[in-house]
Amino acid sequence: MFTIIKEKLHALGCEIFELTERTTTAWEFYFIRHKLDQNRASCVKTFEVKVYIPLDDGKALGSASGSINPTASDSEMDSALKNLIYQASLVKNPAYTLTDKALPAIAQTRVDVDAIAETFITAMQAVHETETERINSYEIFVREIHERFENSNGVTYEITYPSSMIEVVVNASHDNHEIELYRNFRSGVCNGEKLTRDVEEAMRFGKDRLVAGATPALEKSDVIFSTEDAVEIYDYFVYRMSAGLQFRKLSDWTKGKEIAEYTTGDRVSLFAAASLENSSASYPVDSEGAWIRERYLIRSGKSEDTWGTRQMSEYLGSKDSSQVYNFIVSGGSASSEELHEGNYLELVEFSDFQVDPVGGDILGEIRLGYWHHDGKTDVITGGSVSGTMQEAIPSMRFTRETEQYNTRVIPKETRLYNLTITGIR
Amino acid sequence: MKAPFSPYLNRIAPCIKQLVASLSEEYDYVSILSTDSVGFTVQMSQRSKSVTNSTMTTERGNVVRVCRDGLYSEYAFNEIDPDHPETTIQEIRRTLGRQMDILRKTSSPVYLTGILPDEPLELFVEKETERLPETDKLEQLVAFLQSLSDRGMETIPHALDCNARGMSTHISKMFISKNRFLRQSYVYTEGTLAAFAPNEAGEMKTAYKGVSGLGGPEILDRLEDVLAQMPKLMEELLGSEKIVPGEYEIITDPGITGLIAHEAFGHGVEMDMFVKERALGAQYIGQRVGSDLVTMHEGARCEESVTAYAFDDEGTLAGDVTEIDCGILRTGICDALSALRLGSQPTGNGKRENFAHKAYTRMTNTIFDSGTASFQEMLASVKHGYLLSGTESGMEDPKHWGIQCIISRGYEIKDGKLTGKVVSPVIMTGYVPDLLGNITMASTDRVVEGNGGCGKGYKEWVKVADGGPYLKTKARLG
Repeated sequence: MFTIIKEKLHALGCEIFELTERTTTAWEFYFIRHKLDQNRASCVKTFEVKVYIPLDDGKALGSASGSINPTASDSEMDSALKNLIYQASLVKNPAYTLTDKALPAIAQTRVDVDAIAETFITAMQAVHETETERINSYEIFVREIHERFENSNGVTYEITYPSSMIEVVVNASHDNHEIELYRNFRSGVCNGEKLTRDVEEAMRFGKDRLVAGATPALEKSDVIFSTEDAVEIYDYFVYRMSAGLQFRKLSDWTKGKEIAEYTTGDRVSLFAAASLENSSASYPVDSEGAWIRERYLIRSGKSEDTWGTRQMSEYLGSKDSSQVYNFIVSGGSASSEELHEGNYLELVEFSDFQVDPVGGDILGEIRLGYWHHDGKTDVITGGSVSGTMQEAIPSMRFTRETEQYNTRVIPKETRLYNLTITGIR
Repeated sequence: MKAPFSPYLNRIAPCIKQLVASLSEEYDYVSILSTDSVGFTVQMSQRSKSVTNSTMTTERGNVVRVCRDGLYSEYAFNEIDPDHPETTIQEIRRTLGRQMDILRKTSSPVYLTGILPDEPLELFVEKETERLPETDKLEQLVAFLQSLSDRGMETIPHALDCNARGMSTHISKMFISKNRFLRQSYVYTEGTLAAFAPNEAGEMKTAYKGVSGLGGPEILDRLEDVLAQMPKLMEELLGSEKIVPGEYEIITDPGITGLIAHEAFGHGVEMDMFVKERALGAQYIGQRVGSDLVTMHEGARCEESVTAYAFDDEGTLAGDVTEIDCGILRTGICDALSALRLGSQPTGNGKRENFAHKAYTRMTNTIFDSGTASFQEMLASVKHGYLLSGTESGMEDPKHWGIQCIISRGYEIKDGKLTGKVVSPVIMTGYVPDLLGNITMASTDRVVEGNGGCGKGYKEWVKVADGGPYLKTKARLG
């Protein structure tokens, strides 16, 4: 069908296109406690087509994209492709080019969905549960994804990669009071030992939440982020460096610019990586056929390069950019001990911690935290934290030690100063 | 006009029936959901424009559900040879057999479940629409959305860009079991305007409003009214301040009322959570969870919105459930398998992100009933508080009845009058029974909105709608 679509595009006079065939084999297992609730499998094939039409004597480029179903009849296919070509003629963007650099052959990864699924199940069975801390339920998702890409410049690639996810809910109870903690771990394949360790850590947090008191009305406090929620903080830097946001003038972190008026804080360095060990997006090409060039996007607080689609990157004057799926934030200057000096809140569980990538607002309801003050530690819950990244960046500090969360490597602990805390007592 | 049912699904129906018949020889229960939904997304702004023939719910594929010896299994696929269904049957046998090998190797016990009822039923529904996304004149729509963006740039203060977006989807679904043959077709549409501008401190503010409903691209005409509201909205955001954290009297506009309905007692009474003992609601059936003014409905039949289907993704007819009646929690909503496990009835809330995803209990229309107060009476009753408007996001905690709502803006009220001061953004947190228990006034009007999507945890995105009247209560704002 891949070849048929190309032939039809050619017959319809469409000379500029991108075509991606994606086959996803997915295995899923749903458990309540450790009993199998349901098992599922799927095999789904899609053909994504993007057609381009030169307009206004080549000064503009029209484009439209869509899916062709593998069960589409010949006439359905013709109709869908003609429709895309018509739609492309309606959408005038300033001209840009498609990737034209030939790619080296990419070694194909063998993905064993059976083995990955088995590792997930045995890792969950190995979690140490007690009378009061136990697993409520978990859902295992294992995927083998195969992609074949070709554009009209003759750029082609084929990749196969694993993408896994497990959603785990744990309970902690005391007398008649029970709470739950939710975790969503993503990775390439299953690292069984790490999974067991991470679930047991969640259970420890659950135990603490049971005895937590109300968050005091601190109004302002330094906050240490030491869990995966901190990825939200560093993704603010990632998005600010995207060509899409910069071209749309929603980020002014243009190349060569200091990203903040630094005072006492650690300067962020952000690196675009082609791969990370066991990341669910560890492959060297992007979805438009561009080789992912590893480089610093921000170095010591100074903007160096953007990342993004071919269209947005070219508008910013960069033809050798690419989309990026893995990012590394370098460690800072502080040891963990140094970061923990003085009074501070350590927040480890939120309802949904968010940092707005455009506005920079920091917001989250506190489900579990530790209020370290005057040599004491109170376990707290409730209320919320808020602030802005613009105010936080100049003074933020982070540890030398780093931690990987799927497609992100970030400092293990991050301290933001003087955030607003809404307490409930 | 009627939204015509998919010719493709009609074409494969005999083959799907044959698949069901063949698999029924070896399984205790067999059903297949087949989908063929088409649509478009058009996005126009000053800096980029795009058209795709996909939306959040466009798809074509099939999912088989089978049960043997108390274990339910599913297999999803989107390639089938109508002349040779036995190839698909062999693949289903082979794949599910491999999965059973792993379950045996890991000694995984099964959560045993009975056999789903399968009373005979035939249904064919084609809902009304003025236009269809697949045959619409996109040239006119592209020009209209571009014009909205252009005029937004002229009228919205300090706008760096104005993004106009329209999405329309024509859903066709077919459910076949041994005794059921259900087919439905309907169209829903949604559109948004989003403008971006920096305030004096250089912080980017986003003004955002949408329209949605059951029907075709004609619904996007309503964006003209949205454009007229955008300049004032942006002015308010640019002049906004940070709120002083604390507990306040609040009036929620219908959008925020809907957000509370959705997060508080929407997710909290999804009964697949009862099966897992993940929701406090299970223990509160028949008990008070809100003031006398709180009556809440849920169901695809409640409102002709973006999620007004005739049957759900498990072949259960759409329902209209009274979840809370005058403050008393009466029941939850339930998918078919959870109902079987709990000994209750399914309510038509078994939904999938698409054919390749599992069915969970999910919301459709979640709506607070109206009250008897006028908005002016509600305003006049507030000593010091905020009128909250503009949904950003929300998160539930059914086990602990916590709630987090991130809200675009709060309009200060002092001594019964709006002062003109605006705070933004606002995070509202609290304990659900307190929030609902403190409701003292509800307005006579009601609005239901259905833009965007709803996830279960952080995945499984589906269309939902929610709303209600203006409500007066108390909440913690930060």
